[in-house]
Amino acid sequence: MKKIITKRSSNLSSPPNPSPDCSSSVQSTPEIEKKYVHRVYDAIAPHFSATRFAKWPKVSTFLNNLQPGSIVLDAGCGNGKYLGLNPNCFFIGCDISAPLIQICSDRGHEVLVADAVNLPYRSGYGDAAISIAVLHHLSTEHRRKKAIDELVRVVKKGGHVLITVWAVEQEDGSLVNKWTPLTRKYVEEWIGPGSPRVRGSSSSGTLESIPETEVSVSGKEVEGFGNVGQGDVKDCVVGSGNGDKKVEGFGNVGQGEVKDCVVGSENGDKKDKKDKQQEYFVPWHLPYHRAEVSGASAGAVENGLARKDDMKGAIVYDRYYHVFGAGELERLVSGMKNAVIVDQFYDKSNWCVILEKTSC
Amino acid sequence: MRLLTHNMLSSNIKGVINGFPLRIEADNVVVKQVDFNPDFLKNMFSKIDWKALAEASKIMGYPELPDETPDHSILDSDDFLQKFHHALLELHLEEGALVCPETGRRFPVNKGIPNMLLHEDEV
Repeated sequence: MKKIITKRSSNLSSPPNPSPDCSSSVQSTPEIEKKYVHRVYDAIAPHFSATRFAKWPKVSTFLNNLQPGSIVLDAGCGNGKYLGLNPNCFFIGCDISAPLIQICSDRGHEVLVADAVNLPYRSGYGDAAISIAVLHHLSTEHRRKKAIDELVRVVKKGGHVLITVWAVEQEDGSLVNKWTPLTRKYVEEWIGPGSPRVRGSSSSGTLESIPETEVSVSGKEVEGFGNVGQGDVKDCVVGSGNGDKKVEGFGNVGQGEVKDCVVGSENGDKKDKKDKQQEYFVPWHLPYHRAEVSGASAGAVENGLARKDDMKGAIVYDRYYHVFGAGELERLVSGMKNAVIVDQFYDKSNWCVILEKTSC
Repeated sequence: MRLLTHNMLSSNIKGVINGFPLRIEADNVVVKQVDFNPDFLKNMFSKIDWKALAEASKIMGYPELPDETPDHSILDSDDFLQKFHHALLELHLEEGALVCPETGRRFPVNKGIPNMLLHEDEV
């Protein structure tokens, strides 16, 4: 049985990662976002859109208070729920998901496919910008900062930016129990090709929780790690929402053998872990009849991107989230030289800030 | 894609100094009627880059706008406002491309939607 090398840098098939300050590493999409944000939203777009209609009063207030004739940029507009909300303003929406943008376009909105980390807008021409439930899908702090920089860049001096993100502190605590916690020890490494992956329940190597019934790992190839023997689960990320120390799917693994393995519940105390826990997979249940219509889901299940839940009659997709802790948004923007916080609040399990651009 | 949007777009490829305006390749232009709102137009007039709008409008098949930036007083002319309205809001690029002025990179426009996503080597 071939043992894998424990030094992380040796495991990567790609060259050492660039420094986090390098702009290319900020703007290249990490694998975790490609698999657990982009592809998921592409697959669930019509169903997602059908469930996104309630307009959040705080966002409506922000938009309705804008001067008539304002140009409003909605970065990460999803199904376009807020586009055109204020009929006196001109909205331009962008999202990385082409299927969601198509839905917006079909409704007559002015939209484009673009990346929130690198907005294709001229600097200083927007009157306002909004980022509603977007930044929590970015997997590194540098990318989240860059996205905020972009929002401020594209508005004029004196222009306002509204940002909302999911909070660690959820009003409905039971909701969090349905999420799969990940650990972020290796999140910074998930940039570009050759990112570390862990074998999950399928042969393609996913980051989902490993169900108990799955086959053993011995002898199989794990991308970026070479052959992995039974019990040699090092430098991996496993999410396990239920506090067991046994690493499901790998059989019994001694505590010492998994000390480099980042297990979501390794430390045992569930409450403490949750307090610090900010990286999650949040499930989306796509009903079978909707999955059949889209056609993408059969392939998704085969590729390990999704799993079937016969009890619920749905295909389950995991979406990656970095939920924000109290003060985190504030900390991210506190160093900005060209913007100040003019309002910040917690509302309906979201942390929110309103920024004002102070100089170009 | 309307020309008001085009007026806001810039090439964001790494290394590009000035990615505005994107040159339009118009394969299919469609006219979609929009309610005339003079107040809205007057607000927009000061925000937009006139020359980029006039040039884009020509490429889209509507050469009625003056080439040079008109004086603010032209906003009193209903005839002007109608033409401005038509060019800014009613001309839609359905199929074609937006071309980066420095690199020549084509951003495709399909079904009226520009795709401004960059490849890995462009970020």
